[in-house]
Amino acid sequence: MNPIGAEPYIVLSMVLFLMGALGVLMRRNAILLFMSVELMLNSANLAFVAFAREWGQVNGHIFVFFVMTVAAAEVAVGLALIVNIFRERQSINIDDLQQMQG
Amino acid sequence: MEWLFLVVSFVAVVAAGMMLTRQNAVHSALFLIVNFGCVAFLYLMLDAPFLAMVQVTVYTGAIMVLFLFVIMLLGAETTTDTSGRMRWLGFAGTAVAIVLLVIFAFPLASNMLTDEPTPQPDARARIRAINAIPGGDAQAFTVMDMGRAMTLEHTVPGIVLLEPVSESIDGLRLEGVVYEFSREAPQDYIDVAAGDYAIIAGVDYGEFDSAPIYAAPHSLAPDSAHSVVFFENADGFVDVTVLEDDISAPAVGKMRLTLINAVTDKQVALVDVGQYTARGTLCDDSACDSLIPHRVLIELLPAGARISLELEAGTYNLAFVDEEQNVLRTLANYDAERGLIETRVFVREPGMPGSQPSYRAAVFNAIGAPAFGSPESVGQVLFIEYVLPVMLVGMLLLVALIGVIVLARPDALAQAERRRINRRRRVNRPLASVISQQTGSDVLSGDYRAKLTGGDDPARE
Repeated sequence: MNPIGAEPYIVLSMVLFLMGALGVLMRRNAILLFMSVELMLNSANLAFVAFAREWGQVNGHIFVFFVMTVAAAEVAVGLALIVNIFRERQSINIDDLQQMQG
Repeated sequence: MEWLFLVVSFVAVVAAGMMLTRQNAVHSALFLIVNFGCVAFLYLMLDAPFLAMVQVTVYTGAIMVLFLFVIMLLGAETTTDTSGRMRWLGFAGTAVAIVLLVIFAFPLASNMLTDEPTPQPDARARIRAINAIPGGDAQAFTVMDMGRAMTLEHTVPGIVLLEPVSESIDGLRLEGVVYEFSREAPQDYIDVAAGDYAIIAGVDYGEFDSAPIYAAPHSLAPDSAHSVVFFENADGFVDVTVLEDDISAPAVGKMRLTLINAVTDKQVALVDVGQYTARGTLCDDSACDSLIPHRVLIELLPAGARISLELEAGTYNLAFVDEEQNVLRTLANYDAERGLIETRVFVREPGMPGSQPSYRAAVFNAIGAPAFGSPESVGQVLFIEYVLPVMLVGMLLLVALIGVIVLARPDALAQAERRRINRRRRVNRPLASVISQQTGSDVLSGDYRAKLTGGDDPARE
């Protein structure tokens, strides 16, 4: 039914993951940082689903489910934190949050 | 299929790149939504339709709406760019990312381009057992895969009937038990690899087993479903036949009824007698000059044969009749539910020798194994094997919910901070000031800090 093996999906997942990692490194906007983390989680999910199909096991789908749940929780808490930080110092540039360094 | 994958993955990568490079956070969020949509499409291509829908609703729906909401709430579309002094980090990160990508992806890509196509998961077929032997509690059968050297065995729990066979048929070696049907759910389909199978049955006669009964080798095509029907032939011996089942959904508003005749000395027809009650025969009078009004649904069906029909949903009075219009069995107020796929096997009830034979239309409604990646399969695994993790994740969501509520209260942090500061001030105060606070009179004069450092006892003054 599907002539494509898992490899192209894994390569795509790697590309997306590294792009997300780059976003975390390069962008200074806290919201964009979060979005990059979401991109990384999504690429991991893609790898999970590709491997699940390759091995014919539904367990991979279950883990994707859990990752999505954790991502939703993380986004909710993280965005609430960002809103609070923005109230405090009118900026969400992470370079302005120097005092968070130990 | 390849070009579809290439197009979708290209769009996904481009959207991710645009997300990274846009200065406006709203544009970034919109490009991330495009990326998530592409990933959902890839899930569809990976046989995960349920996850694709969850991806769309949870990620591109809920999470990204939350992002956009926060961005617009804060008015933080653009932030001051202070990444200039950290510019080397960006370049270094890009370099490291490309190196990592080459290191990891190169073996995969080379494997993809040079090697033979990766082995696809085995094509699956479904097979089930229908035991239509009168009083047949003690039958077993073994289904053997001729091409793959596997054995498929059905045993009645507690009675081992056929040992795993290791013998040669037509030069093919058959060995090892691979699949077992359980007696409790004999009507369930099991999932087997598609291929050529030999089906072997044995009857338990108490102390010794009968010689195995062989059915013709049968090819199970991918995505097909078969029923292995065991019935007693005219000579009183167990016979076996393999029938292919139609498991596609019936037409809208209809149900599919499949009738298998497992009575060897009778042909059976299925008629709809409408409002009439058929008592023993379809004849209207004793001479059988006329028949009561009826509608023939299934013409006379020979032994071992199988036929399907699609019935409009509704309630029927059905009767099984033989060639002499004798009613063998009635199904009064038969409820034809729409969408139902029902298999009825017409069998003879076990009876005393010489007594009038009675018949039964046994129901074998099979709910086959759900398709890979379907909501059923995900739900089954999720709520059977992973109940505890599901509970924990639910707790996590609850904790996150409470945390967000606490964080979102505008003065929550400020109050906590004030309380913390107050507490510290009280603790840092010397004992004297605590006493003065409690007694109401000032027991301190002057700079108590200086007195403390000078070693004077402030309470004496």
